[in-house]
Amino acid sequence: MTDLAPSDTVVVTGAAGWLGQNLVRALGDRGRVRCLVASRDEVSPLELVSPSVEVVVGDVRDPATADRLLDGIGGDATVFHAAAIIHPARKVRDLFDVNVGGTQLVLDRARRAGVRRFVHVSSNSPFGANPTPVDRFDERSPYNPYMAYGRSKVEAEGIVRRSHERGDVSAVIVRPPWFYGPFQPERQSQWFRAVRTARFPVVGDGSQRRSMVYAGNLVHGLLRAEVAAAAPGRAWWIADPEPYELREILETVRAALSAEGLEVSGSLRSVPRLVGVVAEKVDGLLQSRGLYQQAVHVLGELKDTIACDVTAAQRELGYAPATTLLDGMRASIRWGLERGMQF
Amino acid sequence: MGRVLITGGAGYFGSILCDLALARGDDVRVLDLNPTGRADVEDIVADVRDADAVRKACAGVDVVLNNVAQVPLAKDRDLFWSVNVAGTANVLVAARDAGVGKVVHTSSSAIFGIPERNPVDESTPPRPLEAYGRAKTEAESLCREAAAGGLDVSIVRPRTILGHGRLGIMAVLFELVEAGAPVFVMGSGDNRYQLVHAEDLADAVLRAGDRPGAGTYNIGATDFGTMRETLTALCEHAGTGSRVVSVPVAPARLGMKALSTIGLAPFAPYHWLLYSESLWFDTAKARTELGWAPTRSNAQMVIESYDWFLSHRDEVHGGSHHTSPVKLGVMNVLKRVGGR
Repeated sequence: MTDLAPSDTVVVTGAAGWLGQNLVRALGDRGRVRCLVASRDEVSPLELVSPSVEVVVGDVRDPATADRLLDGIGGDATVFHAAAIIHPARKVRDLFDVNVGGTQLVLDRARRAGVRRFVHVSSNSPFGANPTPVDRFDERSPYNPYMAYGRSKVEAEGIVRRSHERGDVSAVIVRPPWFYGPFQPERQSQWFRAVRTARFPVVGDGSQRRSMVYAGNLVHGLLRAEVAAAAPGRAWWIADPEPYELREILETVRAALSAEGLEVSGSLRSVPRLVGVVAEKVDGLLQSRGLYQQAVHVLGELKDTIACDVTAAQRELGYAPATTLLDGMRASIRWGLERGMQF
Repeated sequence: MGRVLITGGAGYFGSILCDLALARGDDVRVLDLNPTGRADVEDIVADVRDADAVRKACAGVDVVLNNVAQVPLAKDRDLFWSVNVAGTANVLVAARDAGVGKVVHTSSSAIFGIPERNPVDESTPPRPLEAYGRAKTEAESLCREAAAGGLDVSIVRPRTILGHGRLGIMAVLFELVEAGAPVFVMGSGDNRYQLVHAEDLADAVLRAGDRPGAGTYNIGATDFGTMRETLTALCEHAGTGSRVVSVPVAPARLGMKALSTIGLAPFAPYHWLLYSESLWFDTAKARTELGWAPTRSNAQMVIESYDWFLSHRDEVHGGSHHTSPVKLGVMNVLKRVGGR
């Protein structure tokens, strides 16, 4: 089996999102890039990327929108399904409507269009936390979803996998962990500020490990998933080569901020692991009532090791992440500073 | 000389830009919400958010001068974004697809917020503080992305624009001066506040349009002083007995914010955050690369603008935020209380 050539026609959902903006810019040389965005104001900024970009405005939950998105898309096409909600505005219901319902719709229209490959962007959340700090998630790890977001992404993976197994569409699942890079939303500025001023806590002793993935590395992984012969029917962890200790991540971000000329103050301080445990309980309680608080959710996740093994992707997809944590963080910070963001 | 599309060409600055472009023999088309009503201009009455209309307007054009903006007096954040960001992207995409040779985008000094140091030059990073500045910063990013994609786009950033016919927020000031009421400055008024005359800015925009290759230019008067000096020059010229009075910054900000919130005075965050701060441009790059030089000082501009206000105050109603006097609301009360 040999790798495919990149599709001349690609479809991208979530194209105006954090990942989508990075992905569309890597697809500028394709003949046709059909993008789904939620708002009319996102159309022309995306068209500016390349003359081959065509934009469909609509909600991924809307069948008529899905029809238009795949209308006239031939069998050579690849669909990158990146539309999802990670932090719902208030209620967790949206997670299921968008992450599960949206996936079902786009997958169905992709099948009808007979597309060549469907690349589904999943998450680490279907797997919860690693049982020990040295454990790594791989393709054989069992589902153990973390909260409502994790459950929605488990369901979405299931739909994609079954569709592939039925022979409906050749599908690939890509699982990125903690994601960072240019085109970051405003919440990332708050995070950079909190790390810069040492207000972002190290939960526990900071030796818990986290896998992270730079936008450019993830886009490279998605492009390998599009063409690699080994990709279909499987799920791939795509992350920076090795997980980092939480403390190391925060120190590297502080070094990156400093290298970009920003003043770094204070020194990292720890809060007892118990704080994270309590936050997790509160988050669970809120979510069981359909409510969502981002700060509580993030704090609850910080106490654990969430790390994955990318060797399968390296060996079989030809995944070769080129950007280091320091360089990736510096690029993200520069991108924000050029746009007047305050870190 | 060539075929020029001026977006926002019926607005205050846009119409002065039209005058200068026509005077040098350009063939001028205007896209604006309002018609210019001029016989020597091709009017396209449309919203810059209407991509199809913008596409039609760009057909057969050599140069696009993009001046549409939702100014700080309009306080609706979504409107800011859609006009200033999506509208600019519409113009850039249409210009690219129509093979337009040059785009000049009019930005704003609002992208610098309150600068850490002055003068501000083209290498100073943006640091917008409020919705208008943020939207204008994002629009500049789009211009740079278009330039990286091969479209020839230059950016011109004006300081606060003044000249005959410019009212908007200035009407507040002129009403007070005309009535002989005290003119308030925030704090000592010793902040250096640079203005630019509309005709000097229009000259810079046309020069940027003539120069091939993407460039960014900060534009402002050379002869300017502090806020207090500028206003004192106006009071002396008016001879109505008005004088400049300081009010502490914090209560002034609070007052402007409160009046604006309850809809009694025409202020936006842009005004109460920035009017008491120093911001001035180093214009060396525009001088060197464009051969541009300003012709008016701050004091000349305010005086000219005030005189125009006096002779036209009965005619100015309707039009854009920048040519119609804002509803003065409680300012009228302030004028009577503080006046003679």
